[in-house]
Amino acid sequence: MAHHTEISHHAPEEEHPTTTGINNRKLLMWVFLSSDCLFFGSLIATYMVYRGQSLVGPYPVDIIDVPITTISTFVLLCSSFAMVRALAATNEDRQGAIIFWLLTTAVLGAIFIGFQVYEFNLFKTEGLRIDTNLFGTTFFTLTGFHGAHVTLGIVWLLGLAWVAKRGRLGPKTALDVELAGLYWHFVDIVWIVIFTLLYLIGGFDTGPAGDPSLVPHSITGFLGLI
Amino acid sequence: MSSDPGVHESRHPTLKQYVGIAIFLFVVTIVEFVIILPMEFRGAGWTIAPLAILSAIKFAAVIFFYMHLKFDNRLLTWVFLGGLALGFAVVLALVGLFTAWTPSARSFADDHAKPCTLDHELGGCLEDRVTAPPPVEPVTDPPETGSEPTPAEAPAAPAGGLVATGQQIFLTGQGEGAATACFTCHTIDGVPGATGLLGPDLTHIGTEAATRQPGVSAEDYLRQSITDPEGFVAEGVERAVPGLMLPALTAGLTDGDVDALVAFLLEQK
Repeated sequence: MAHHTEISHHAPEEEHPTTTGINNRKLLMWVFLSSDCLFFGSLIATYMVYRGQSLVGPYPVDIIDVPITTISTFVLLCSSFAMVRALAATNEDRQGAIIFWLLTTAVLGAIFIGFQVYEFNLFKTEGLRIDTNLFGTTFFTLTGFHGAHVTLGIVWLLGLAWVAKRGRLGPKTALDVELAGLYWHFVDIVWIVIFTLLYLIGGFDTGPAGDPSLVPHSITGFLGLI
Repeated sequence: MSSDPGVHESRHPTLKQYVGIAIFLFVVTIVEFVIILPMEFRGAGWTIAPLAILSAIKFAAVIFFYMHLKFDNRLLTWVFLGGLALGFAVVLALVGLFTAWTPSARSFADDHAKPCTLDHELGGCLEDRVTAPPPVEPVTDPPETGSEPTPAEAPAAPAGGLVATGQQIFLTGQGEGAATACFTCHTIDGVPGATGLLGPDLTHIGTEAATRQPGVSAEDYLRQSITDPEGFVAEGVERAVPGLMLPALTAGLTDGDVDALVAFLLEQK
């Protein structure tokens, strides 16, 4: 008996039957992600409610840079691909590949965060802070919480890579990687929504009274470079 | 959840499928980007529907394949879609509540917004860099103010009108031509609204201008400083951020505007 406890302590109890037929940790992760939809839903709703109601600039069209963010969106999409490769490597017990893909995912996530840090800094220099106007408040709150999610995911992945380096990840513990993957992909889909809403749709919002001088210079500048 | 590799094979997409999904996500993102590439499409109302649909497709591709909901227990799909639907309901409810009670929220913003002159160099609105909006009060200087330490060319007869026009341009940027309003960066004590902090203080420029550049009269010095701001910068002039005043900021001024500005600045003693 004592021996049994010892073993189950090391190996996650994935084989235990549950009333739902689903591993409890996995169900918990999905319930958490489900509730996180409400969390981001509230922030997105707040952005939409206050969209176009800022009384002072800068307005989205002044500073939102869609091309740059399209690149960082690609980076995040790539990281999701790296994540599924990490899980596949774990299932196939390819130790080197597990570490490689976990670290690749974390690095791509870090690059995404780098883009966000760059963007936030640029916005700050261009005069948009969280207390500047309603756009600044809702924008920084929403994208900031998303960035925090990504950062947490990076820490998680690095932790897993460390566990993998000690040879503790493999088909028997694949759920550990799978759960991190679910979280990571969720952060990716939240960004899909944010990118569409705040950049592709809301990124060209002008200030009130449609100041004609407001030309999206960031994009024109980018196209000028090509 | 079985750890049997054989079962995993059937439960997870193959590498080929994963690569296919990755390419698909890439292509859809590129299509989204292309939709908003033409200037006239940006922010257009009709783009919302296709963009929303495309992102929903990406969303579904990730949750069903990358998160393998398609291959997993149905209950998980319902758990997640339930939360997603609730989140969507929250968005609809909040937006609905707010727009129902303030049907023309945007018109409130239109009525109360401050003017914004976009600063292409620094970004943001130039007007935000000052503490108070500038009430434009024409100065009622006497035409002749007596002893001027400026050389002969100092503005003569209609100086009063010219000075008032100059102040107007200084505070609004609007003369015969148009430029960035000077007050956003320059302070002149005693001129309401002229409290900018980025450029040199011009409170006493009328007297200082004469001594800035040896052999150059105050008027010529001011004229040059307006039309070619970085052409000559006198030593000891305090600038919060050097190199900010680009010729483009004043390029829209006509000769008459510059005359008026110079006349106004010469009055600042």
